[in-house]
Amino acid sequence: MSSPQAARARGKEGSKKRATTPNPDGSAAMTNGNADIDLDALKEKSKDVVTRQWDYKLAFAVITGLAFLTRFWGISHPDQVVFDEVHFGKFASYYLQRTYFFDVHPPFGKLLFAFAGWLVGYDGSFLFENIGDSYITNKVPYVAYRSMPALMGSLTVSTTFWIMWESGYSLPACIVSAALVLFDNAHVGQTRLILLDATLVLFMALSVLSYIRFYKLRHEPFGRKWWKWLLITGVSMSCVISTKYVGAFTFFSIGVPVVIDLWDLLDVKRRQPLSMPGFGMHLGARVLGLIVVPFLMYLFWFQVHFAILSRSGPGDDFMTPEFQETLSDNLMTQQAVNIDYFDSISMRHKETKVFLHSHADRYPLRYEDGRISSQGQQVTGYPHNDTNNLWQVMPSKALEGAGHRVKNGDLVRFRHLVTDTWLLSHDVASPSMPTNQEFSTVAKGDANGKRYNDTLFELRIENGKAGQDFKTKASHFKLVHFPTKVAMWTHPTIPPLPEWGYKQAEINGNKNILQTSNLWYAEDIQGIPADSPRLVKEERKIKSMPFLKKYVELQRAMFFHNNALTSSHPYASHPVQWPFLLRGVSFWTENDTRQQIYFLGNPVGWWFASSILAVFAGILLADQVSVRRGVDALDSRTRSRLYNSTGFFFLIWAAHYLPFYIMGRQLFLHHYLPAHLASALVAGALVEFIFNVEPNELADFTEQQIQDGRKGTSKTQSTRRRPIRERIAGQSLLVTWAASGVILAVLVWSFLYFAPLTYGNPGLDVAQVNARKWLNYDLHFAK
Amino acid sequence: MAVQDESRGTASGVDQGELKRRNVSGQPNGSYIPQEVEEKMDDKSKKQANSFLQALDDYEFLVAPIIFTALAFFTRMWKIGLSNIVTWDEAHFGKFGSHYLKREFYFDVHPPLGKMLVGLSGYLAGYNGSFEFKSGETYPETLNYTYMRLFNSAFGALCIPLAYFTAKELHFKKPTVWLVTMMVLFENSYTTISRFILLDSMLLFFTFTTVFCWSKFHNQRHDQFGPEWVLWLVMTGISVGCVCSVKWVGMFGTALVGLYTIEDLWNKFGDLKMPKVTLAAHFGFRVVGLIVIPMIVYMLSFWVHFAILENSGPGDAQMSSLFQANLKGTEVGKDSPLEVAMGSRATLKNMGYGGGLLHSHIQTYPDGSAQQQITCYHHKDANNDWFFYPNRHQGDFDIEAPVNYIGNGDVIRLIHAQTGRNLHSHQVAAPVTKADWEVSCYGNVSIGDTKDHWTVEVVNDAASWDYSKVRTLTTAFRLKHTDLGCYLRAGNVNLPQWGFKQIETTCVKENRPRDTFTHWNVESHTNERLPAGDPGSYKSPFLRDFVHLNVAMMTSNNALVPDPDKQDDLASKPWQWPLLNVGLRMCGWDDHIVKYFLLGNPAVYWGSTFSLALFIGMVVWYAVRWQRGYDELTWKQIDFLHYSGVYPVIGWFLHYLPFVAMARVTYVHHYYPALYFAILCCGFCVDWYTRELRKLTRMGVFMVLYAVVIGMFWLFRAICFGIVGSHKQMKHLKWLDTWRMTD
Repeated sequence: MSSPQAARARGKEGSKKRATTPNPDGSAAMTNGNADIDLDALKEKSKDVVTRQWDYKLAFAVITGLAFLTRFWGISHPDQVVFDEVHFGKFASYYLQRTYFFDVHPPFGKLLFAFAGWLVGYDGSFLFENIGDSYITNKVPYVAYRSMPALMGSLTVSTTFWIMWESGYSLPACIVSAALVLFDNAHVGQTRLILLDATLVLFMALSVLSYIRFYKLRHEPFGRKWWKWLLITGVSMSCVISTKYVGAFTFFSIGVPVVIDLWDLLDVKRRQPLSMPGFGMHLGARVLGLIVVPFLMYLFWFQVHFAILSRSGPGDDFMTPEFQETLSDNLMTQQAVNIDYFDSISMRHKETKVFLHSHADRYPLRYEDGRISSQGQQVTGYPHNDTNNLWQVMPSKALEGAGHRVKNGDLVRFRHLVTDTWLLSHDVASPSMPTNQEFSTVAKGDANGKRYNDTLFELRIENGKAGQDFKTKASHFKLVHFPTKVAMWTHPTIPPLPEWGYKQAEINGNKNILQTSNLWYAEDIQGIPADSPRLVKEERKIKSMPFLKKYVELQRAMFFHNNALTSSHPYASHPVQWPFLLRGVSFWTENDTRQQIYFLGNPVGWWFASSILAVFAGILLADQVSVRRGVDALDSRTRSRLYNSTGFFFLIWAAHYLPFYIMGRQLFLHHYLPAHLASALVAGALVEFIFNVEPNELADFTEQQIQDGRKGTSKTQSTRRRPIRERIAGQSLLVTWAASGVILAVLVWSFLYFAPLTYGNPGLDVAQVNARKWLNYDLHFAK
Repeated sequence: MAVQDESRGTASGVDQGELKRRNVSGQPNGSYIPQEVEEKMDDKSKKQANSFLQALDDYEFLVAPIIFTALAFFTRMWKIGLSNIVTWDEAHFGKFGSHYLKREFYFDVHPPLGKMLVGLSGYLAGYNGSFEFKSGETYPETLNYTYMRLFNSAFGALCIPLAYFTAKELHFKKPTVWLVTMMVLFENSYTTISRFILLDSMLLFFTFTTVFCWSKFHNQRHDQFGPEWVLWLVMTGISVGCVCSVKWVGMFGTALVGLYTIEDLWNKFGDLKMPKVTLAAHFGFRVVGLIVIPMIVYMLSFWVHFAILENSGPGDAQMSSLFQANLKGTEVGKDSPLEVAMGSRATLKNMGYGGGLLHSHIQTYPDGSAQQQITCYHHKDANNDWFFYPNRHQGDFDIEAPVNYIGNGDVIRLIHAQTGRNLHSHQVAAPVTKADWEVSCYGNVSIGDTKDHWTVEVVNDAASWDYSKVRTLTTAFRLKHTDLGCYLRAGNVNLPQWGFKQIETTCVKENRPRDTFTHWNVESHTNERLPAGDPGSYKSPFLRDFVHLNVAMMTSNNALVPDPDKQDDLASKPWQWPLLNVGLRMCGWDDHIVKYFLLGNPAVYWGSTFSLALFIGMVVWYAVRWQRGYDELTWKQIDFLHYSGVYPVIGWFLHYLPFVAMARVTYVHHYYPALYFAILCCGFCVDWYTRELRKLTRMGVFMVLYAVVIGMFWLFRAICFGIVGSHKQMKHLKWLDTWRMTD
C-alpha cells in the first residue's frame, strides 16, 4: 500500500486492500509506515510503465480477435435446432408474437434474443419444437440469433484478460487466464448457440471487472468515475441475476469484499479515519449502487416482459384467473358466462381434464379387496364430451323463476340430467381409497327426503371474493361436501376403475381440502339459446392489474416450478463431476455425416485450472499453518496479493460452484461455466506466483529476521516492500513466459483436437471418436 | 460479525487480548476468576443481617436444584396416565420397544439406544411385548403404560438440574441461572413431549448432558490433563455417543463440540511455547475422547441391538441374506436346497448396503415403456418370487428332464411367479436415473424375445471356489443383459409415489464389477426336486451388519421427502418453529379423548427467538464500536461473550439450519434441541444487560420475567396435562389462527 496515487496512475496496483484476517499486525504496520516517502519516485516510474503498456494492448487486441474468430467460425452450422435452443428459441418467438409464456428464468437473457430477432425483422412464426428441426426450411434467421451469444462470448474473453490486467498481473499471467477461456471448448460451444449462458458469464465477468475498477478508485470516493464504476458494477450484477438466479452467487462474491471494505472504512486507526456520517455516506452509496439500482433494473425487465406479452398464450395456465384476464385474445375473457341456477353445466377437473360424469351403472357391492360399497350409482371422471356429463345446478333454498346468479360460497345441489338423480357424498369408502369418501347419486325422492343433507355442496371459488359470480371457464372452484367437509377430487395417481366402471377415472371425496388438485371449472352451459342476452357480451376491456401484484405472482410461480425441476435427465451430472470434466452433454447428432456436437470443456484446460485451485488452497493452508507456528515464508506484499486478489478470484469460484451441492434441481455441466471462468483467473494468478518465487530472498534471512517476520518489524518490511512489478522487472520473466508458452501450446492442441465435437464439423469416423473418449465420454458414433 | 470477532481471536489470539488490556487501566490481568467465587466474595463483604435468608442463600447451590428437580418431576409426571390410549408416535416407539421384549428383528430409521431404553422400561414394567401399539387404541389391562411413561419422563425431568448446573458452568449470575432453569422447567412443549413413550425426552436429556459436560470440560482448561479434565472430556465423549445413538440429529451437537475443539486446538497450535509433545498429547486426547469414545458408544448400542434381537422379525429384509440366516426362526436358508437349478423358485437379494429383494407387481410404469414395474422392495411377499427358467433357445422347461444346475456364464430367463412375466430390459430410459436402461416385466413363458435373456456372472462365493453352480445365500452374482450388455442394478434411488417409493431397479451400461449394487444372491429358495441343505451356516461379521444397517437407515431417511401431492396436517415448516406459529395435535380431537396439544410456552419461544436477534445485533454493535476505537469490553467479558454467548448461538444455528436445508418432512419437535440453545442465549442476554443494574431494579426485572414464564405455563397447562372434555373450552387460548387446539 505504498502509494495510492502512483498505484492508480499505473492502473494496475494489485494489492487491493489491507490483509484483514491473515496478518493484521503486518499490514497495520505497513499502512502506518513511511509509505509516502518514495511517492514521487514511483510516480515517475509509473509513467514509464504506462507508455510501456503497448505489449498488453497488443495482446488484448490479438486475444479479442481470436475470440471473435473462435466464436463465429462456422456459426451457421448446424442449420438445425440444437439442444436447449428448443426452449430459448421458442421463448424468443413468443416474445416476437407477444404471446404469454412461462419460464423459470427471469426475462433479461430471453429478451436479448427477442431483441436480436426483432432487429432482423423476424416474426417469430417458428416455435422450435424439436431438436433437429431445420432452420432453412422454416426460414429462421438463426445466424442473427446465434450472433448475439457469440458476440457476448467473445467479449467474455476480452473481459477476462482485462480483469487480470486491471488487477496488475504480468502479461503471461493475463494471457494464460484469457487463453483458458479463449481456447475452451465448453465456452465456445455454449456461446455459439441460442442459450442463456453467454449473457450470464459475460455480465458476471463484467461485474468482477467493474468492481475491481471501482475498488481501485477508493482514494477519490464520490468522484464521477467512482460513481460510474459503482453503478456499472450494480448494473452488471443486475443483468446476471435478471438472466438466471445463479446471479445471486455473483452478488455474494461481490458482497463479501464490499463488506470487508466497509469494515476497513469503519476503522478509526486508518490514515484518515471517517466520521460516522462519512461512513454512512459510503454505506448508503453502496446500498444504492449495489442493491437498490440492481433491484429496480431487475423489476424493469419484468415490466418489459409484461408489456410485451400482452396476448394469451401457453403460459396462461400457470397464472391465476385474475392475471389471465389482463391478457387479450384470452379464451376466458371471450367465453366466460355467468351461471344461473337451473342451468345445465358440464364440469371439468383442472388437472386431469376429466368431466364429472355419471351413468346408470352402480358400484359393485363388494370390491376385490373385500370392502363394501354403498351400491349407489357410479360417479366417475370421463375425458370425452357426453350428455352424461351434464349437471343441473340447483339451489338449496327455494327460488322462483330464472335468472338467479350462482355466487361464490353458495350451498348448491346438482341434478344429473340424464338419470334424474342427485349428486351426493357420504361416509362410505371410495372404490380404491379407504381414506376417501365415495361419490354417488340418489333418486329424487331420497334426495329431497332423508338424504337431503348429503346432497348439499358448498361452492368455493379459488381466490374468489365472497358473493362473486360463478362463471364458466374463469372460475376455478372446489366443491366441498357440506356435512362432511370433503372436496370432490380425482388424481392421475389413482388407478382407473375396473371393468365395472369402464376404466373411467374415480371421483372421490378428499379430506384434505387445501390441495390444489381439488380444483374444477365449469366447461360449458348447455342449452342457452344462441340469441340469449347472456351470451351477448359487451366488448369488455382487458382488465389491468398493478405491476407489483403481477410481479409477485409470477415470481412465486417461478420459484415454485424451479424447485420442482427435480426429474433426472440422461445427461444431467453431479457438481462433483464438473471440475474433473467427467462427462459432457450430447447436444446434437447427424447420422448421415456422423457429425455431432458434444458439449465438453477443454480437458487439458479444465484439469489444469482445477489442479491450480487445489494448489492454491494448499498454499493458503500451508501459509496459515506455518504462520501459526511462527514461520513466515512470504513477504507481506505477496501475501496480500495472494489473499486479496487471487483469494477474491477463489471466492468467486467457490461462490459460483459450491452452492450447487445443496441444490436439489437438475444440473448440467454448463452450470460450471461461471466458476470455470473464475478458476481461469486463479490459474493465471498462480502461474505468476509459482514461477516468480525468489528463493534467494528466503535464504538471506537470519534467525532474527524470521522471528521478526511474524511481528512485521519495519526493517524486514522495507526491504521487501517493493511492488511486485518492480521486483519482477529486475529478474527475467523468461521462466514465466516459457511455462505459459507450454501451457498455451497444449491448450491449443487439445482445443483443436476436440473442436470437431464443439463445432459439429467435420464428422468423425469410429477410430477418431474412440480416440476422443478420454474419460469414457459417452460420445455418439463410437461404433 | 461473531465470525469476524472470532477470526480475529483465532488469528492473533493472545495479542489482541493484550492489546485491549493495555488500554484499560486497573483491570486484573486477564486471569480467570470463576463467577461463583466472585459472588461469594461479594456476599461475604456485605454481611447481611437476616441470618436465615443468608443461610438459604449460602446453600442455594443445594436447595435450588432440589426444588427445581422436584418441580420438574412433578410437572413431567403429574396425571401421566390420564390418557389411556396410544398417543401420537407412541405407536412407533412403543412398538419398537415391544420388538426388544419379543427379541424380534425390526428396522427403523433411528439408531437403537433410545428404543432399547423404551424396551427396558417395558421390561421393568413387566410387559411381555404382545401389544401392537396401534395408534389411538386403548392400552390393555396387562400393560402398565403409566410405568413406561414415567420411565421416559424421568429423562425429561432430569434435564432441569442439568440446565441449572450448565447455566452455572456458563458463569451466569444466580438470578439468570434460575431464569434459564425455569425456562426449561416451565416449557410446555418440553413438558408435553416428555410425558409419552417417545425418544425425544432421551434426545433432550443427552443433548443437555452434552452441553453440560462440554461446559464442565471447558472450565477445567486450567488444569490440563488433570483427572477432572480427563473425566469431563470422556463424559463429553460418552454424551456425544449417546445423543447420536438416540437420533441422528445428535450429530449437530457433535458438530458444536467439534467446532469448539478445533478452535481450542488451533489456539494451542499457535502457542509456540507449548512443547510439541504436549501439543500432540492434546490432539491425541481429543481424538480418543471425542471421536473414538463416541464411535465405541454408537457401535456398542448396535452391538447390543443385534445381541437382543436374535429372532426373525419384520425388519429382516433390510439386512443381508447371511445376517437373516443367522436369526432364529427365519425361513431364510432353512431347508433350502444348496444349489440353484432350472425351475427353482427363489427370491433375489441385492447385495449393496441397504439392498432389497427383486420385486415386481402388476402396476405399470407411468411413462417409458408402460410395462410392468420392476423394483427392489424390503418387505417380504409373494411378489418377490422368481422362477429360474431356461432361455428361449433351449426350448421349454421340462419338469421331467434331469436337474440342470445354473452356473457362471449360463444364459437364463427369470419369470415372475405371481404374474408369469419375464424380467426384461430394453433401450428405454429408466424412469428416474435416465442414463440407465429401464427394466420391466414383459410377456410370459411363451411370448417374448431374447431381451428376456440374462447371463449369470458369478462374482464370488463365500463358501466355495467352484463357480460352476450358484449357491443359495453364499454366491454373489451379477445379471448381465445378454442383448444390451448392461447389468441389473438397484441403487438407493426411490421411485416416486407411483412406484410406492420402492427402490428403482435399472440396467446400468457401465461394467463396474465392484459395484455391489449390481451383485445379487439367492435368498429363499425352493425346489422340490433338490435335497434340502443348510446354506446359512456362515456368519456375517458385525462390522458389515453395522454398516449395512446404517446405510439402510440413511436410505429410508432420504425417502422421507414430502410428497407435493399430499399435504400432511401434522408437518410444519422450519420458519414456523422459532415464531411458535404452529402446534401439533398429538391425538384425535373428539370430546371423549384426553387431548394433548404440542405447543411451547409463548414467553419462552418468543423471548428466546428475540434474544437470538438481540444477541446478533449486540455482537455487531460491539464489533462496530471496537472498530471505531471504543475499548469497552474487558478480556473477561469477551471470554464470557465468546463461550457463554457465541457457542450457544452457534449451537442453535447448527441444530436449526440443517432442517431448513433438508428436503425431508419436518415436524415441530425437531426444533426442541435448538430451543435449548436459544434459551441459553436468552439467559446470556438477560445476564449481560442486568449485570450493571441496581440490585432492586434487577430483582424487579427478574421477578417480572419469572412471573411471565410461570404465568404462561400455568395459562397453557391444560395442553400438557391433557384437555378433558370438549376442545371448545380452549378457545380463549387460540391466540393465533394456526394454533389448532380448537377448530
